[in-house]
Amino acid sequence: MVSDSITNASIHAAPNNNNAARDVGKKKRARSAKLKQCKLDVRREQWLSQGAVKNKDCKAEQNGVVEERKDRNNHRPFGNLGMRPGGGENDGSIHHHHHHDSDLDSNSPNSLTSSVLGSNYSETNFTGSSSSSSSSGGCCSGNITEDDEGGGDDGCLDDWEAVADALAANEKPKNPCLESPPEHDPIAQSGSPQETTIGSDGPSFGVENSKPQCARTIPKASGNGLAWRPDDAFRPQSLPNLAKQVSLPNSNRKHYGCGGVPWAYSGVVSAPSSCPICYEDLDFTDTSFLPCLCGFRLCLFCHKRILEEDSRCPGCRKPYEHEPVEAEASVHGGSLTFRLPRSCSLITRS
Amino acid sequence: MAAVNQDNTLVVATTTAPSNSKQSQPRAKTVDSQSVLKRLQSELMALMMSGDSGISAFPEEDNIFCWKGTITGSKDTVFEGTEYRLSLTFPNDYPFKPPKVKFETLCFHPNVDLVGNICLDILQDKWSSAYDVRTILLSIQSLLGEPNISSPLNNQAAQLWSNQDDYRKMVEKLYKSPKA
Repeated sequence: MVSDSITNASIHAAPNNNNAARDVGKKKRARSAKLKQCKLDVRREQWLSQGAVKNKDCKAEQNGVVEERKDRNNHRPFGNLGMRPGGGENDGSIHHHHHHDSDLDSNSPNSLTSSVLGSNYSETNFTGSSSSSSSSGGCCSGNITEDDEGGGDDGCLDDWEAVADALAANEKPKNPCLESPPEHDPIAQSGSPQETTIGSDGPSFGVENSKPQCARTIPKASGNGLAWRPDDAFRPQSLPNLAKQVSLPNSNRKHYGCGGVPWAYSGVVSAPSSCPICYEDLDFTDTSFLPCLCGFRLCLFCHKRILEEDSRCPGCRKPYEHEPVEAEASVHGGSLTFRLPRSCSLITRS
Repeated sequence: MAAVNQDNTLVVATTTAPSNSKQSQPRAKTVDSQSVLKRLQSELMALMMSGDSGISAFPEEDNIFCWKGTITGSKDTVFEGTEYRLSLTFPNDYPFKPPKVKFETLCFHPNVDLVGNICLDILQDKWSSAYDVRTILLSIQSLLGEPNISSPLNNQAAQLWSNQDDYRKMVEKLYKSPKA
């Protein structure tokens, strides 16, 4: 079923391919950028909410923000499309999560069409059930989730907007740009000082992604797509809640430094969406892979790697059992699953 | 998308980056350096966003495998008001292996020797790949105030530790004139 929905999505996205074709070169860049962006957004929001804003305030503000956003949309050339790119983006991040290629389609300027929306909806059956659980994640997900979901240029205004609403007036003319895809959107940064800081200080050791700068700049723009919050009145009930997946690992990262205790906690609450060891996205197989009873999750690659070496769980330092606990029959969603979890335990033993 | 190599384990890790050199080189090397880079970049970002007071770290110029960190002595310890520079050198198999961390500022501490080597379990046998720069620096910062006297690298410091007033004076003296 999962692979089905993915397929649907790509089919829906296909019409955009023509438009997107010329953006092919930008695709990869934007995709990795998007990942970074998500993380960035989450961190920024985290930072913000740590600073002063409490959860409640956050929510209260969000309501205000929704209104605000509507107003804004009216001022924009893209007007009523304002919300939709978000849907597309959601869609995109799903794809990204699975290393799917078509995610960028939703990112292309020309793709703000109903077909994107369509693909977005087609994803609905995918994780629809999780949409209501975002705030149940405890301290880890709470406001982060919301922030992330709402995150983005529009979204980034949530906390931020509440603080700097007055400044926003200046931004209004610029907003349409934010709606349109990534590239390097300097304007996006004007909306958030933290972002700017990172952009400038930010490491450019992006050899791996080869577009480190983009990764830091684009963030805003692509995050911009995440239009719905869990409590957003305009958010279809059935939309999958991706933000949760995206945000948790980040909070994990934040927390494990503090005491180490949170591992088990966060592990139980929900699987992170990226590996705490290599920071790569976890795919379906990874997220259903629970190698240690302590709840510490990691990707199969890192797990295999650790098995080859000291074979102790990074979370609790206990030796891994030979037979990893496989939480559930993993959904091998298409071509993305290359290796069965079991094979790694075989490798250790041999 | 990314080439399906005979070794399946490669593929996912490399999908996000254009895979140029991958096929020709041994798997371990390329995947490692890719993922180490990613990991270090992410850590750097996390560290900068974390806003921890008293610790900081940043890569040296253009080498992300070598970082310089600073730690300030915690309040209410004999190290209060002092700041120490450290170097962190990350191996190619980081985070599966710990980075090498040394004090660059002379640190008069029972578990730090005169050339800056640190005796800290998490940097050796107790290392876990779940640790990161931030946790390392925080650990060292707390090590400053809570030395392990039983296995000292600096015996003089270990003996003096019981007398905190004298220790404080020694720390100040050495901190002001590291050469002395």
